[in-house]
Amino acid sequence: MTPETTHAPLLRVNNLSLRYLSASGPVTILHDVSFELGRGEILGIIGESGAGKSTLGNAIIDLLAPEFQRATGTIEFGGKAIDAADGKGSGGIRGRRISAIFQDHTASLDPLMSVGAQVEETVLATNSSLSKLQARTRTLELLARVGIPEPHKRHRNYPHQFSGGQRQRVVIAIALAGSPDIIVADEPTSALDATVQKQVLALLRNLVDETNISIVLVTHDMGVISEIADRVVVMRNGQIVEQDVTSTILDAPQNEYTRGLLAAVPRLRTSRTVSEREISKTSTTPFAERDREPPILVAKGVSKTFFAPGLQWGRLSGEAGFALQDVNIQIPRGAITGIVGESGSGKTTIGRIIAGLDTARAGWVKIGESDFDVSRNGRRTGLLGRVQMIFQDPAVSLNPRTTVGETLRESIRFGVSPVSGEEPPDMGAMMDRLGLARSLAGRHPHQLSGGQKQRVAIARALLARPQIVIADEPTSALDVSVQAEIVQLLKESVTERNISMIFISHDLALVQDLCSTIYIFRDGRVEDFGPSDFIFSHSQNPYTRSLIDARPRRFTH
Amino acid sequence: MALVTIAMGRLSQTFLLLLVMSLIGFIGVHSVGNPVFNIVNIETATAEDIRRATIALGLDQPVWRQYLLFIGNVVTGNFGTSYIYHLPAFGLVMSKLPATLELACIAMLVAAPSGIALGLLAGRRNRTFLDRTILKASVFALSVPSFWLSMMLILFGAILTGWFPSGGRGSTASMLGQEWSFLTWNGLWHLILPALALAIPNIALIARLARSGTIEVEQLDFTRFCRAKGLSPHRILFRHTLPNISVPIVTIIGLQFGGMLAFAVVVESIFAWPGVGKLLIDSIQLLDRPVVMATLTFISVAFVALNALVDLFYAVLDPRVRLSA
Repeated sequence: MTPETTHAPLLRVNNLSLRYLSASGPVTILHDVSFELGRGEILGIIGESGAGKSTLGNAIIDLLAPEFQRATGTIEFGGKAIDAADGKGSGGIRGRRISAIFQDHTASLDPLMSVGAQVEETVLATNSSLSKLQARTRTLELLARVGIPEPHKRHRNYPHQFSGGQRQRVVIAIALAGSPDIIVADEPTSALDATVQKQVLALLRNLVDETNISIVLVTHDMGVISEIADRVVVMRNGQIVEQDVTSTILDAPQNEYTRGLLAAVPRLRTSRTVSEREISKTSTTPFAERDREPPILVAKGVSKTFFAPGLQWGRLSGEAGFALQDVNIQIPRGAITGIVGESGSGKTTIGRIIAGLDTARAGWVKIGESDFDVSRNGRRTGLLGRVQMIFQDPAVSLNPRTTVGETLRESIRFGVSPVSGEEPPDMGAMMDRLGLARSLAGRHPHQLSGGQKQRVAIARALLARPQIVIADEPTSALDVSVQAEIVQLLKESVTERNISMIFISHDLALVQDLCSTIYIFRDGRVEDFGPSDFIFSHSQNPYTRSLIDARPRRFTH
Repeated sequence: MALVTIAMGRLSQTFLLLLVMSLIGFIGVHSVGNPVFNIVNIETATAEDIRRATIALGLDQPVWRQYLLFIGNVVTGNFGTSYIYHLPAFGLVMSKLPATLELACIAMLVAAPSGIALGLLAGRRNRTFLDRTILKASVFALSVPSFWLSMMLILFGAILTGWFPSGGRGSTASMLGQEWSFLTWNGLWHLILPALALAIPNIALIARLARSGTIEVEQLDFTRFCRAKGLSPHRILFRHTLPNISVPIVTIIGLQFGGMLAFAVVVESIFAWPGVGKLLIDSIQLLDRPVVMATLTFISVAFVALNALVDLFYAVLDPRVRLSA
């Protein structure tokens, strides 16, 4: 769909500059930003953290905190300026003409109000002429439109009774309630699983095509852009570095930064490059190679149940279901094993159980020659330390009150002690190796960038001299360009130090590059497993196929 | 079905609690001293008098037998007879209950709405002059001892201005076989000062909770989303923020209400308000064991009931408690 160039643009941002009045003086967040949005168009705004893309989105819906100050520029809607400066000028526009979708579908909805009531109050707030009954009818229409099954029943349900994808659909229904001209969608699918993300993006595209609404899509994800955006604005440090039609940006980017962003997106290879002979070998005996060398870690029959939320009085809420059900995995020595799954698949839980951070209902973990009972009453002494973890978000996994040096020294002190004759681990050398300046040792975590923090987390794990490192989505909280560096470091650490790694991720392309063996988890079970190439090129498992198909086509070969 | 199981669990917990409480109370009173000396006239009583009184009260038995006897009587609904008033102990407590109940209810009816209103206001106007004023006033109201607050209220509300009476229950009217002050104008007039003395610290407590809750909830995405979808600030405050901050507030209201039923003794004493708290303290001083035990039992049951009500409120308020996914 191409924008209608004959009409005046629906939204025009002219030379917009915004300053943030911080305690230490004003900081420029947006610098001289100009772009236009046509009717029936999806405009993608892409950039890494700190690019100012969310601020720009908030400026359009007029939800900026009072500390933001407009230095220059205007935002025009339908030819008339929206005066965001005084915050009151948009009274008739917000909700009615321009509405919003936020990233976190769980946090976007009031947990104490039924979804029907939340849609309905928006319908009433944006169309004051409607009667209660008309509003109810419109609510049901909206819920049906966004694909909520049985809206006449489900409108009475509360947000927690819906799945993540359905909640985001409800949020979209609310955004549509005032029949707006523009929806500002800030990372609308980032909190969703790949397969669900695909469906929600299809819904947004469909809405645009059918109702001629326009969407400003703020995202960090090139995949999302490649799927549905008509045009793209690439932002960096509060400035627009490039804007063009999506195909041009993807195929012939002019700007160096855009090229870097595109190159950093992990690509999935599904072409059948492995020869037929090799396939027959690997498919019949996927672990043939490793039979010669025993695996470093074996987890046997690990099960875990979770408790239903609900009446917490006494102990009667009961076990609601399996978080893990009889999971058996083998981790080969000196290699990286991938555990892939969507949210709720149990991939993080198995990692935490292996690391000794969580107990199972039943199960054994064997590391080298030692067996550990990982159930609640088992003893895991000796397990802790041998297995180290790298968590998803370094901002919360590092103690904010200790300096980097203290954190790392603690890791050396309490890690596995070196056998006589072995070099004790050296903090300085490790920092050099991971690209951390030694001067950072005196800093606290909040004084570091996201990438530096994750490097510290890696150093912390490695300095404890583990046999196994479990990396749980170690790059998901990082920008694409930093992600690639961290992945490279992890890869090198494994080969240099002869450790084994479990890499937990939702990102197939990332896992493919990194891992020799892959386990695919679904609903607490191992759904599929095998050597990486086999899984991506030849696996017949329908679930594995659906995961691969959910990847943006642009980044799959 | 689940509700029955929950209720049964609660009930058995309550019995255990009552048992432990009665044991502690019983031993406590027993170890303070011999009640006989408060009953007989020490100046004139002979050793024989004291011996007879001791036997009459059953105090000659070993303490464990006294306790078993007491438990046995309680099971049949009999808490014994007050040593001092020579009335059934539980009936005595119940006769003081209306005074305490109306005082606590009115104090909470004042404290809860005004505390919540002040807290919402301060939370909305976070870091403004109004917010700072409310915060400072709440620190003051919480740290002032209640006897001083009561006396200031008497000084300004009764002595200097003469607007309110300085103590007593005033005239009462009968309802459900009990005498109530709030049913007559005069009685209501007498209620105001002691109720205020109880309410003021609670206003401060509730306002602080409501304020911090409001600030927290209004930073969440769904309130931002509510603004984005075009709702008025008024509607967001009352339909979204208020329900979301009410769990801790209701918890504290339940606890504080229980506290007022049982331990409003300072205020009750200063305003000569014949309530349960005053009865408890007087009975402890006189070692009137049946009355002490009856009062403690009543207080325990009241706390358990209030907690159950609070839990029930959670379920009503929060669908995540009420309905599983």
